[in-house]
Amino acid sequence: MTEKILKLFKSEIKAINIGIDLFYKSLKQQGVRVVHVIWRRPPELEKEIEEILKSIL
Amino acid sequence: MKIINVVKRNIFLDSIQILHISEEVKKLPGVIDAAIVMGTDLNKELLEKEGLLLDEGRKAHPNDIIIAVKIVDESYKDKVLSEIEKMLSVIPKAEETYYSIDDALAVLRDANIAVVSVPGQYARDTVIKLLEKDIHVFLFSDHVPLEHEIELKKMAIEKGLLLMGPEAGTSIINGVGLGFANAVNRGPIGVVAAAGTGLQEFTVLVTLGESGISQAIGVGSRDLSEAVNGLMTLQALTALEEDSETQVIALISKPPALSVQKRIIKYIIEKGRKKYVTCFIGGKEFDVPNSSKGRIIQTFTLHAAALEALRLVSKDLYERAYERFTLSKEEILRIAEKEFNRLDSRQKYIRGLYTGGTFTYEALVLLDFLIGNVYSNTPLKKEFALRNPWRSFKHTIVDLGAEEFTAGRAHPMIDPTIRLQRILDEAKDPEIAVILLDFVLGYGAHHNPATAHVEYIKRAKKIAEEDGRYLVVVAHICGIDKDPQNAAKQEEILKGAGVITLPTNAMAVLVSAIIANRGIANNKLDAFYEYYLARH
Repeated sequence: MTEKILKLFKSEIKAINIGIDLFYKSLKQQGVRVVHVIWRRPPELEKEIEEILKSIL
Repeated sequence: MKIINVVKRNIFLDSIQILHISEEVKKLPGVIDAAIVMGTDLNKELLEKEGLLLDEGRKAHPNDIIIAVKIVDESYKDKVLSEIEKMLSVIPKAEETYYSIDDALAVLRDANIAVVSVPGQYARDTVIKLLEKDIHVFLFSDHVPLEHEIELKKMAIEKGLLLMGPEAGTSIINGVGLGFANAVNRGPIGVVAAAGTGLQEFTVLVTLGESGISQAIGVGSRDLSEAVNGLMTLQALTALEEDSETQVIALISKPPALSVQKRIIKYIIEKGRKKYVTCFIGGKEFDVPNSSKGRIIQTFTLHAAALEALRLVSKDLYERAYERFTLSKEEILRIAEKEFNRLDSRQKYIRGLYTGGTFTYEALVLLDFLIGNVYSNTPLKKEFALRNPWRSFKHTIVDLGAEEFTAGRAHPMIDPTIRLQRILDEAKDPEIAVILLDFVLGYGAHHNPATAHVEYIKRAKKIAEEDGRYLVVVAHICGIDKDPQNAAKQEEILKGAGVITLPTNAMAVLVSAIIANRGIANNKLDAFYEYYLARH
C-alpha cells in the first residue's frame, strides 16, 4: 500500500514545520510553501488534579 | 572589565534561536564576550572554562536561560542588558507562524509533509495528529521512546504513509531537503538510509559524480534495530521499487541487527526488481544467490557505495567519478609523506573531531582496519571507550554530535564552539600528529564553517609550532558548490590555512592513518582499496 507515498513523489511539497524554526527557514530558502507552528510545552498539571481528571474523563 | 550573569526563567527558545542571540550580543558596543545558553551542566561547565560564570549563573536550572556577558566596564551594563532583553522578547517570527497545527492546516489545507522537531517525549501526540490527517512526517526529534517509535511507524504503515525518523537528520523528497540536506541534483538513484550524514555524503558524491537523487528517505537510526525490525526501511524500499523515476536503490546504515538484515535482504532478493547497492558500514558480506548477482552490489564505505550506484547507472559515470574521488595509491602516499616528514618522533596520534555520526562510525571502522586501538566516546568495542569524552587518549575519534556535547546546545554542525576549543586543546598535546575534521555543508548547517574554523586552526598550528612541532590538519568537506555555503569556497578557505582536504571521508581517514603511522605496508594499502573502495 504505497499509493499515498507515490502520490507524494509526484506532488509539489507543501510543508508544515513544527518546532525548530531553522527548518522553516531552510524550507523557505528552497522556495517551498511552508507554514510554521510554534511548539509550546504542555502545562504540567499537579499530579493530584491529573489523577482526578483521569478518573472522571 | 566586568562580568555579568543574569538568569531568566519561563522563556521558551530553541537552542538555535539562543545561539543567534548570543552572536548578536557579541556585536554590541562595550561587549568583549558573551554567551546566552540554557542552564544545563554542560553549558555551565563551558561558561566556567571561558571565565564567564558567576554564582548567579551557577544556580540556574536546565530550563533557565543564563545571560553571561563580559563588558568593558560598568558603564555599559544597563544598555547591554536592556538590548538583550529586547532581543529575547522580540524573536523574529517566521512570516506564517501559528500556535496550533489546526490553525496552520486551516491555512495550508493541502500540506503533504510535516517536519517535526518537538522534544521527543512529546512527539507521539503531534505525529499521531498529523498521520491521522494523511500527512507524511519527517521526525527530527531524538529521545522518542522506542515503544512510541514502533507504535507510530505501525500506524504510518497502516495508513500507507512515510514516517521518516525519529532521529532522522535528513531526507530529500522531490528535490526538497528536509532537516540537514545538501542541494543535490535530481536523478535516477533512490536512497533509504538509517544514517544521517551517511545519506548526506552519499547524495553529495552522487551529485559530484554527475548523476542525481530521485528520493532519499531517512528512516531514523533505530529502524534497523531488532525492536523496530526495519518497519520503515521496508515501506520506503517498497515505494522506491514502484517509483518510476528510481532505477537504482541504495540502502545505507551501520550493520543492522542480524535478523533484520536477513528480512531486508530477503525482500531485496525475492521481491526487488531494481538494482541495489547496500552499504552496511563495517558490516560483513551476506550471501546473494547467483540469480541476483550483478543486481545486488555490496559495499562497506560511503565512498564505494556512491561509486557503485553510479556504475549501475552508467559505466562512464563510474569511471569519471572514480578518477575524481579515488586518489591513486601513489598520490595518497605522496600527500602523506610530504606531511609526515615534517613530524617529530613524539607525534604519532590521530585526533578525529567529527560533527557527523556516520562519519565518526566510518572513521572508526576504517582506522580499526588501518591502525587499530582507536578510542572514542562511541567506540566499536567497549574497551576503547574514552574515560572522559572531553579528553582524547592515544588515537581518538570523537563524535561531537553525541548527547554529552549537545545537551541544551545546538548541534556542532550549527554551533562549532565546542570543536573550536577542542582543536586548541588537542594542539597542546605533544604526541598529536593529525587533527581530522569533517565539514558538513547544506541547508540547516552553519553558514560558513570554514571561516569559523580557520582562525582556530591557525592558532592550533601556532601552538604546535611554538613547541617545535608541526601539526597536520586533514579535512573532508561534505558538500557541493550549490550548497548555501559553496563547497569550493569552503575548500579554498581551509586550504588557505594549510588544511589538507580530501574528496571523501574514507580518503581523509586513509591519509591521516598513513601520516600518523609514517607509511603503510603495501599489502595493507592494497587490501584497503580492494575491500573498502570497491564492490563485493
